[in-house]
Amino acid sequence: MRSFCSVIFLFLSSFFAAFAQDGTVVLKGKVMDSVDGYSLIGVGVTVEGRSGGTITDVDGYYELKIPKQQCDVVFSYLGYDDKVIRYTLKNESSFSKVIMHMNATQLDDVVVTGVYERKKESFTGASATFKSDQLKSVGTTNVLQSLSTLDPSFKMMESSQFGSNPNVMPEIEIRGKTSVVGLKEEYGTDPNQPLFILDGFETSIETIMNLNMNRVASVTILKDAASTAIYGSKASNGVVVIETKAPARGRLQLSYKGDFGLSLADLSDYNLMNAREKLEFETLAGVYKDNSGDPFAQLRLDDLRNQRLLEIERGVDTYWLSEPVRAGFTHKHNIYAEGGEDKIRYGVGLSVGNTNGVMKGSDRQTLEGNVDLIYRTGKFQFSNKLSINWLDVSNPTVSFAEYAYANPYYRKYNADGGIDKYLYYPADGVDDYPVSNPLWNAHLNNWDKASGFGFTNNFIFEWFVTKELRLRAKFGLTKQDDDEQARLSPQHTQFDDMGETEKGLYTHTQIKELIYEGDLAVTFGKLIAEKHMLNAVGGFNFSNSRRQIYGYSATGFTDDQFDAPSFANGYPVGDSPDYSESLKRAASFYINGGYAYDERYLLDFNYRLDGASMFGTGNRFRNTWSVGTGWNIHKEPFMKDSGFFSLLKLRGSVGNPGNQNFAAYQAFSTYKFNGWMTNVFGTGVILNALGNTELSWQETTNYDIGLDLTFWGERVNATFDYYWKHTDPLLAIITTPGSMGVTSVAMNAGSQKTRGWEATLRISPIYRPAEGIMWNISINATSSKSEYADIGNSFSALNESGKTSLVGTTRYYDGGSPTAIWAVRSAGIDPATGKELFIKKDGTYSFTYDVNDEVVVGDTQPKVEGLLGTSLYFKGLSVGCYLRYRVGGQVFNSSLFQKVENIGTQEVYNNQDKRALYDRWSENNREAYFKGISLVQRTEKSSRFVMDDNSLVGESFNIGYEFPDRIVRRMRMGALNIQLNMTDMFRATSVRVERGIDYPFARTVTMSLGITF
Amino acid sequence: MRKIYAFITMVSLAVLTSCDAWLDVKPYDKMAQDELLSSEAGYMKLLNGIYIELNRDMLYGGAMSVEMIEIMGGAYVIGTDNSVWGNYADLAEYEYGTDYWRARLNETWNKAYSLILNCNLLLENLETTDVRFTGDNYKIIKGEALALRAMLHFDMLRLFGPVYSRNPEMLSIPYYKKYSVVPNERLAASEVAAEITRDLHEARILLANDPVRTSGTMTSAPSDGSSAFMYYRNLRLNYYAVTALLARSALYFGDNDAAYKYSTEVIDAAQEVFPFVDRNLVSGSPEDPDRIFSSEVIFALTHSQRNTVFKGYFDPSRIPNYVFRMDNDLMSNVIYGGGAVTGGSQDDYRYRVNWVATGANRYFYKYSDMVDSGSITNTMIPMIRLGEMYLIAAESRSADLEAGVSYVNRLREARGVSKLPTLTRKTLQYEYIRELYGEGQLFFMYKRMFSPVIVSSSDSRNPQPSDAIFVVPLPSSETDN
Repeated sequence: MRSFCSVIFLFLSSFFAAFAQDGTVVLKGKVMDSVDGYSLIGVGVTVEGRSGGTITDVDGYYELKIPKQQCDVVFSYLGYDDKVIRYTLKNESSFSKVIMHMNATQLDDVVVTGVYERKKESFTGASATFKSDQLKSVGTTNVLQSLSTLDPSFKMMESSQFGSNPNVMPEIEIRGKTSVVGLKEEYGTDPNQPLFILDGFETSIETIMNLNMNRVASVTILKDAASTAIYGSKASNGVVVIETKAPARGRLQLSYKGDFGLSLADLSDYNLMNAREKLEFETLAGVYKDNSGDPFAQLRLDDLRNQRLLEIERGVDTYWLSEPVRAGFTHKHNIYAEGGEDKIRYGVGLSVGNTNGVMKGSDRQTLEGNVDLIYRTGKFQFSNKLSINWLDVSNPTVSFAEYAYANPYYRKYNADGGIDKYLYYPADGVDDYPVSNPLWNAHLNNWDKASGFGFTNNFIFEWFVTKELRLRAKFGLTKQDDDEQARLSPQHTQFDDMGETEKGLYTHTQIKELIYEGDLAVTFGKLIAEKHMLNAVGGFNFSNSRRQIYGYSATGFTDDQFDAPSFANGYPVGDSPDYSESLKRAASFYINGGYAYDERYLLDFNYRLDGASMFGTGNRFRNTWSVGTGWNIHKEPFMKDSGFFSLLKLRGSVGNPGNQNFAAYQAFSTYKFNGWMTNVFGTGVILNALGNTELSWQETTNYDIGLDLTFWGERVNATFDYYWKHTDPLLAIITTPGSMGVTSVAMNAGSQKTRGWEATLRISPIYRPAEGIMWNISINATSSKSEYADIGNSFSALNESGKTSLVGTTRYYDGGSPTAIWAVRSAGIDPATGKELFIKKDGTYSFTYDVNDEVVVGDTQPKVEGLLGTSLYFKGLSVGCYLRYRVGGQVFNSSLFQKVENIGTQEVYNNQDKRALYDRWSENNREAYFKGISLVQRTEKSSRFVMDDNSLVGESFNIGYEFPDRIVRRMRMGALNIQLNMTDMFRATSVRVERGIDYPFARTVTMSLGITF
Repeated sequence: MRKIYAFITMVSLAVLTSCDAWLDVKPYDKMAQDELLSSEAGYMKLLNGIYIELNRDMLYGGAMSVEMIEIMGGAYVIGTDNSVWGNYADLAEYEYGTDYWRARLNETWNKAYSLILNCNLLLENLETTDVRFTGDNYKIIKGEALALRAMLHFDMLRLFGPVYSRNPEMLSIPYYKKYSVVPNERLAASEVAAEITRDLHEARILLANDPVRTSGTMTSAPSDGSSAFMYYRNLRLNYYAVTALLARSALYFGDNDAAYKYSTEVIDAAQEVFPFVDRNLVSGSPEDPDRIFSSEVIFALTHSQRNTVFKGYFDPSRIPNYVFRMDNDLMSNVIYGGGAVTGGSQDDYRYRVNWVATGANRYFYKYSDMVDSGSITNTMIPMIRLGEMYLIAAESRSADLEAGVSYVNRLREARGVSKLPTLTRKTLQYEYIRELYGEGQLFFMYKRMFSPVIVSSSDSRNPQPSDAIFVVPLPSSETDN
């Protein structure tokens, strides 16, 4: 009925327009969106070259009186391409229904920096943008995992210690470390972590890890100075900008996305002995040989060995590694309801995630609700995103390593099927250590869990003052409360030698965090005289973040079962409640300008003035700047004609972003009570931490040259970047002479230079997007090399402690690489004597080890690493495969070093690598790679344990199907897709090292389902 | 449009000006320097904190008073049973290079310099502060802090520096006069000596109005409950303590005239301020002897758990664990025996109140508590005492010691023993042992005189002087960087 009316109306209005008075004419009509036909409110309607004009009303109608002469009528609306209709004196009817198209510059072509957006073509920075479906196609674990598969410069460091523990935050690096020695150890913050921006607000890595991937619209990685400098002194490690989906306009639409995963522990890196091998190894090592000369002692040892042998003959060969692991099921769901019209749009979502790690008792549950609202009226837009999250995690209380240590000749259970506390307990009077049963501690009522609750509310107000000028105010508030509790049962073997009142331990830590951030910015963009494109952003930003940690412990539990803290007997002796607080504030002004001439010559600049409370009063403010230039060669007249290149851009940038990942009170000298004594004069205070007000903050001068290429009708896409980073000064914790009054101090010492390149190439041999048929092959590669400069002897203490430590192979010398492996060269084991032959610095051979002969024998940084990928789309079907490769790096094989050689009188009671038994030197095996079996001989760090670390990992395989419309409609749905992902399916390496010491790595298969109603 | 620009400019300006104050965040869970040192009370607390820290084991609560330094000074018999004596046997052999002693010496060094840093932070803030101090407090606080800095440097120089009398120009230790994040260079011993003397002189001038000169040591708290800051002056580096330190250091640096001048100044004032101990408390067999002769102590630390010092090292009930005591022969034949030749006598009050027989041996009771458990005396660890001033006056009198014998005899008179007819280096050393045993000064005396360390009555068993025993190697953190 309504549409009928409007047809009548349109007819009438054009009728009247035609008979309007001579001299003027009234144009009438309705403006609509090209896609959904929604009427657009507030569209400007003007005559080109004349002032005045009108805007459309709430139903999208307009009326414009113009002189009756030929002219151009311009319809303009933010987010839409301008529409120009020529009035030819008789085409009034063509004004009755004006269809406008949304800006062609969709996410594909826009770089979102979180502060401003820029067309990719006219942006001079090095960046990479990935859309939701790209991220989801390579993995469904979390955004960061997927990014590392898609972009070679974004590296998620594999933790050999924590494996695939879902509750340990990964270390992330973009384009390598900007260094800082010893700071993580000192402050617990990772100084190399990039900055994360979620919907325009700074956020934590935990938030990103917990974020349900189905909410993500796009992720942009900003790498070089031109793109990151707008974030000033926080930007030197790169920036990751994540935008969540905004509700779409239209009828209420409901979508469901589900991921169902199965993870299995990957124990293939463990190469442990079986029972018979272990006993043989112990026998050869002399465990059952008495040295005291006491005949009874020898008898006892013989007896012990025979008992164990008997058990082995009975068939005991326990595989302990299977005990703590399980098949981990993961399921995540996301429901999102969205809708609304032009004025108001809304979205309500709920995400639930339940991840079971591959170790028993390792769980992570998340629940997140979010409400998105966008309200637009005239020139104003208000948008608000609220999300509330709840988190519940638990960790296993016995580490995986304890199972790996357990000897295979022990039984897990005793004759009654129960669990014994000890696998071996020495008889009275025997000087020997008891061996505890890892199952004992695991079966007790121990726990380690945490829960968290928080919300984030981000509010953005925008005022479109004119077509060119926009004012934006943002305010974000985040509140997060976490609660960590751990309990060890009084029956835990750790408390064996303690008194009744000291057994059992309960610890409770509470973390409260409140962050707010505000931002006010003015954005300007105008094309002048059709050739000069000007963009500018200027603004002010402030943030405040306060973190409080409360904690205490209690001890003296008497019972395993009843574990409430109230059953504790008291506090541990000498223990006091913990409290720490850090308050960080920052305020900044920033400005960004971009100029493009004829879309060919590009120039960007950024300037930011940062003030932060962590900086000393003397250095409170810091300047960051960057300049970027670009040349769109494909737009040049001489290239345009050939049309071969659809993109050929050369760009370069330079700037000096800084690093601010430091402790809150670094610049202050603080004092504490010397609480151990007071006197007749009362209490006293002494220095607690020495602040260094003269400290200069680390900044990284960053150069980047890049080339972007697209040709052969979009079939070939390539990007190449060469970069050079110079971090000067470095900030490091340096051991100082005791006479300075402190034994270590945060100091500026030396600099670090990094050079590297990265390249991505995507070729589509079959490219028929219109038919939905495409085959892509992608190769990306990255390589970088760092070295220290001007550090002199600042790190001599670290070098000395590295030399004397058991496994430390990192050294700090000018010209040396931070990732170099330092050790004495080895010529192998002398077949005649079984001794290791070392190569001295001057090239001569020697049996004596001298630590001063250390040279660089390898580098853990591979020469080249990256991903090989291919994907195939055929109508609704897609198949993808991504392999990660590493070539040219080395590794110091600590498994060989510690679990084959260097097995001392303590370690011999742990299960060991099979190679500790085989391939050892003996009279009969003179060509062996390893020394003879011995418990007393110490093996020094030598190049014998440095091995080439080349690998190929099946990181991601996926197959997906998007059901065609006709089937979906029949099922009364809007869309339906299904996808299967497999991660870390295989791993081929040139070196065998135990990985996942405390927590094993996992292989995961995930099935994802997406339904829209 | 213009309005918008005006608005933005206004906001920016307002923000800029308020920014700096807003960014000035003070920690809540720790005491920021600006907040602590914003009042007189803050300075007093910091100064007191430094005094308290001097009581740590690695300084004068152990290592530098009764333990490490006294073993190096040959005060104790070290047994042969390794399971009991452990690392002490190495130290008695002056093997400073073992991991244990390197770590221990390093601890002492680090702690001393960390307190020097505290002094320097206090002094630097005092320079620029706008806090108003009551009365002479500004001068007193500054004077005491300077004296503490000098005293700590002096003891580090005596421990790690060269034998001054033989090698004053040798590179020794750094002298820190202000907080710095760049390590200071090590100086020649004579340069360090000059710095110590300069600081002590300045401290003495600042302490000119020290109430100790008019009101004495005031060893009780004010009855009205007000601040005790200006009381217990013998627990602070008071005017006379600084003067006594000057005497001690001048003697060590070979400036006999100054040593004489300052020691006699203290002696002259002592009748009023630091009188000899009340004989009733020490002569005969008093029920509750004042074993440290507390009235004579010019400067002492106050250690609330001093009895642990006694219990940890000297208490005979520690047997079969190690117990520190003097060699039997040395005690009975030389220090408290031997008549006129050695000056030793069993009538000596110091013998009667400090040495108690248990079984065949006599044990050292100087640090066992007096009966009155609340007494301040029970907390005192003497750092400088009047007796040393008499001995310094005697030693500094002239190249031949005889001229100084009268000072020794005045001291002996107060100890209930007969006069010495003449004075030799040996008898002077015996007198030092009697007077300062268990107070951490003997090693420095032998080092000063470059003489054998008296461990036993038999000269052949006493370690001969050498740089190897007297010059303790600097911690490796010092030489590596």
